[in-house]
Amino acid sequence: MPNTQSNQTLCVQKHVDYIKNLDSRREELEYWLTEHLRLNGLYWGLTALHLLDCPEGLPRDATVDFVLSCQHESGGFGAAPGHDAHMLYTVSAVQVLVTLDAVDELDKRGRANKQKVASYIAGLQDGETGSFMGDEWGEKDTRFLYGALNALSLLGLLDTVDVPRAVAYVQQCENLDGGYGICPGAESHAGQVFTCVGALAIAQRLDLVNKDRLGGWLSERQVEEGGFNGRPEKLPDACYSWWVGASLAMIDRLHWIDGSKLAAFILRCQDPENGGFGDRPGNVVDVFHTHFSVAGLSLLGFDGIKEVDPVYCMPKSITAKYLSR
Amino acid sequence: MASHGIPRYSVQTEKSEEVRQQELRKIENYRQIDQQVREKVAEHQYTPETLQKISELLSKNPEYYTVWNHRRRVLQHEFAQAVASCVEGSASDRVAALIKDDLQFLIPLLRSFPKCYWIWNYRMWLLEEAKRLLPLPVARRFWQEELGLVGKMLSLDSRNFHGWGYRRFVVESLEHLAPGKESMAPAEFEYAKKMIGANLSNFSAWHYRTKLIQRLMDEKLASDEERKKMLDDELDLIHRALIDPYDQSLWFYHQNLMCTFDPSIAQHTMAPNLSDAERVEYLRREIDEIQEMLDGAEDCKYIYQALIDYTLLATKVEGTMHSEDQQQIMGWLSELKKLDPLRRGRWLDFEQQLCR
Repeated sequence: MPNTQSNQTLCVQKHVDYIKNLDSRREELEYWLTEHLRLNGLYWGLTALHLLDCPEGLPRDATVDFVLSCQHESGGFGAAPGHDAHMLYTVSAVQVLVTLDAVDELDKRGRANKQKVASYIAGLQDGETGSFMGDEWGEKDTRFLYGALNALSLLGLLDTVDVPRAVAYVQQCENLDGGYGICPGAESHAGQVFTCVGALAIAQRLDLVNKDRLGGWLSERQVEEGGFNGRPEKLPDACYSWWVGASLAMIDRLHWIDGSKLAAFILRCQDPENGGFGDRPGNVVDVFHTHFSVAGLSLLGFDGIKEVDPVYCMPKSITAKYLSR
Repeated sequence: MASHGIPRYSVQTEKSEEVRQQELRKIENYRQIDQQVREKVAEHQYTPETLQKISELLSKNPEYYTVWNHRRRVLQHEFAQAVASCVEGSASDRVAALIKDDLQFLIPLLRSFPKCYWIWNYRMWLLEEAKRLLPLPVARRFWQEELGLVGKMLSLDSRNFHGWGYRRFVVESLEHLAPGKESMAPAEFEYAKKMIGANLSNFSAWHYRTKLIQRLMDEKLASDEERKKMLDDELDLIHRALIDPYDQSLWFYHQNLMCTFDPSIAQHTMAPNLSDAERVEYLRREIDEIQEMLDGAEDCKYIYQALIDYTLLATKVEGTMHSEDQQQIMGWLSELKKLDPLRRGRWLDFEQQLCR
C-alpha cells in the first residue's frame, strides 16, 4: 500500500509530469472510456499546470487546435471531435481559450465566431424561468446556469442573456439551511452551492446570500479528518476542498474552517510516487481531483501555488486581466 | 477520469505483457463499436441494428453522452415511423412497446451506475416522450411504475442525490397526469416518514419532509391554528429524535423548524404568521428544552451552537439583549471554542461581533 500518512510536502514536479503525460496514455482503456470528458480534462489539466506555475506545460498551438476541433457550427463545443455540443464543454472551451489568451482564434479560424458561441449559450436559457439547459435535450441544472454566466462574462457578452431572471431562479434554489440545490426543491449540496454562489458573484448579487447561515452550513462540511464532505453525514472528498472552499471564499468566510487541517487532508490524497490526487487518501488519482485539489490548496494560499480566482476557478492573474478589458 | 473510492494499490501493479495485450484488444474492440455507431448515425441509418450497436456501446460506457443523444434520434425516428405506418391504435401499441423495451434496457445500467447523470436524464426524456406520444392512461402507467423503481433505488442508497431528484420529478409528473390532478403530498409525506424511520441520519429525507409540510399546509389552505399544530408536532418529533444529540442531520432539521421564529425568513416556513410574542414564547421554551439536553452530553457542540443561535434570535425578536442572555452566550461560546477547534475562526468572528 502506498505511503499516505507521512508525506506532507506537495510533489509539484510529479503532478506536473502526471498532467503532461495524460494524453500519452492511449494504451489504456480508461483513456478511451473518458473521451466524453476530454475538453473538461484539458481545462482541469491546463488550469492545474498554471496554478503549479508551469503555464507552458502543454503545447499552446496543439491545445488551441484541439479546442477548435471540438466546435460545432452552432457555436457550441463537444467533449472531443465528433461529440455533440453541450454547455459543459462550451464553458471549458472558453476557459481554456481565455487562459491561453486565444479567444481571437475563434473569429480567425473557429467553425463559429465569438458572437456565435455566446448565442449558442444564450439559446439554452429558458426565458420563462431564467434557468439554463445543458443542451437541446433539455436537462436543467444550476451547473449550466453558472457555466453560462462564467463563459459569457469571460467573453464580455453577459448582456446576451437575462441575468436578473437567472438570479431569481438561483434564489428559488435556496433552502432554509442557507445552501442551494440543483433545482428548486432540491436538497442543499456543496457543488450546487458553488455554482449558485458563483453565479450570484458574476451577477454582482452576493448581497442576496445569507452569508452567516450559508457560512455555517459550509463550515460544517469539514470533518475530523480535515477534508470536506458535500452534504451532512457523508464522507470527505478532495474535490469538495474546492466546492466548499471557493464558496466560503466568495462570501468572505474561508477563515471559518481549519485551513491547515484541510491542506493536510488534500496532501494525503496525492500520489507521491506517480503524481496526481485521488478523492481520498490512498485512492486512484484522476485529473479532475488533481485540479480541484491544487485549486483548493491555492485558496489556502499554499506556498508555491499561484492564486486562483474563487469565482471562475482559473488563475487570478488571468481573470483579473481579462475581466478588466 | 473522475474515480471515486477505488484504492490505488489495486491498480498499481506492473502490467504483464499478456494483460497489456488484453487491454489493447479491448481498446480495439471498443473503438470499433464506437466507429460503427458514428458511421451509421452519420448516414442516418436509424435502424434496429444501429440501436443494437448503440446499446452495446452504452453498456460499455454509459457516460458517453453523445451516444445517448444518438439513441434519442433513433428512437424518435422509430416513433415517427410507427405513427406514419400504423392505424391509430396499433401505432401507440408500437410506441409503447419501444418505450417499454428501452426503459428495461436502462435498469441494469442504473443499478451498476446509480450516479451517472446521463442515464437518469435519458430516462426522464423517454418518459416525457411517453407523455407526449401515448394516450394518457398508458403514459400514466409508465410513470406509475417509476415510483416503484425509484423507491428501490433509494432503498439501495438512501442518500442518492439523483434518486431523490428523480422522485420529485416523477411525483410532479404523476400529479399532472392524474385525472383530478390530485396532490401526492400526503402519500409522499408518509414516504419521507418511512425513510426517516429507517435511518434518522438521512438528511435527504428530512429535507423532503420540510418541503412536503409546506406543500401540505398550502394545499389544504391550513389555518394558522392548524399550522401551529403541525409545528408543535414536528418540534415534539425532533425532540424525541434528538435523544442522540450528536447527529448533524437532526440539528439541521431542527434549524429548519426554528426558521419559523425568525421574522426575516418566516415567510418561507410552515407557520409564517406567528406573532412576535408567540415566537419569543416558542424560542424560550426551546432554549430550556435544549439546555436539558446538555445533561450527559456536555461535550456536544451542536447543543451550544443551538443555544447561542436561538438565544440570539430571541433577543432579536424581543428587541433588546438582557445582560444575563449576553453572559450565558459568552459562557456557551467559550465551551464551543474548546469543543470545535475546526471552526475556531467562526466563533472568534462571532465573539467579536457580540462584543462590539
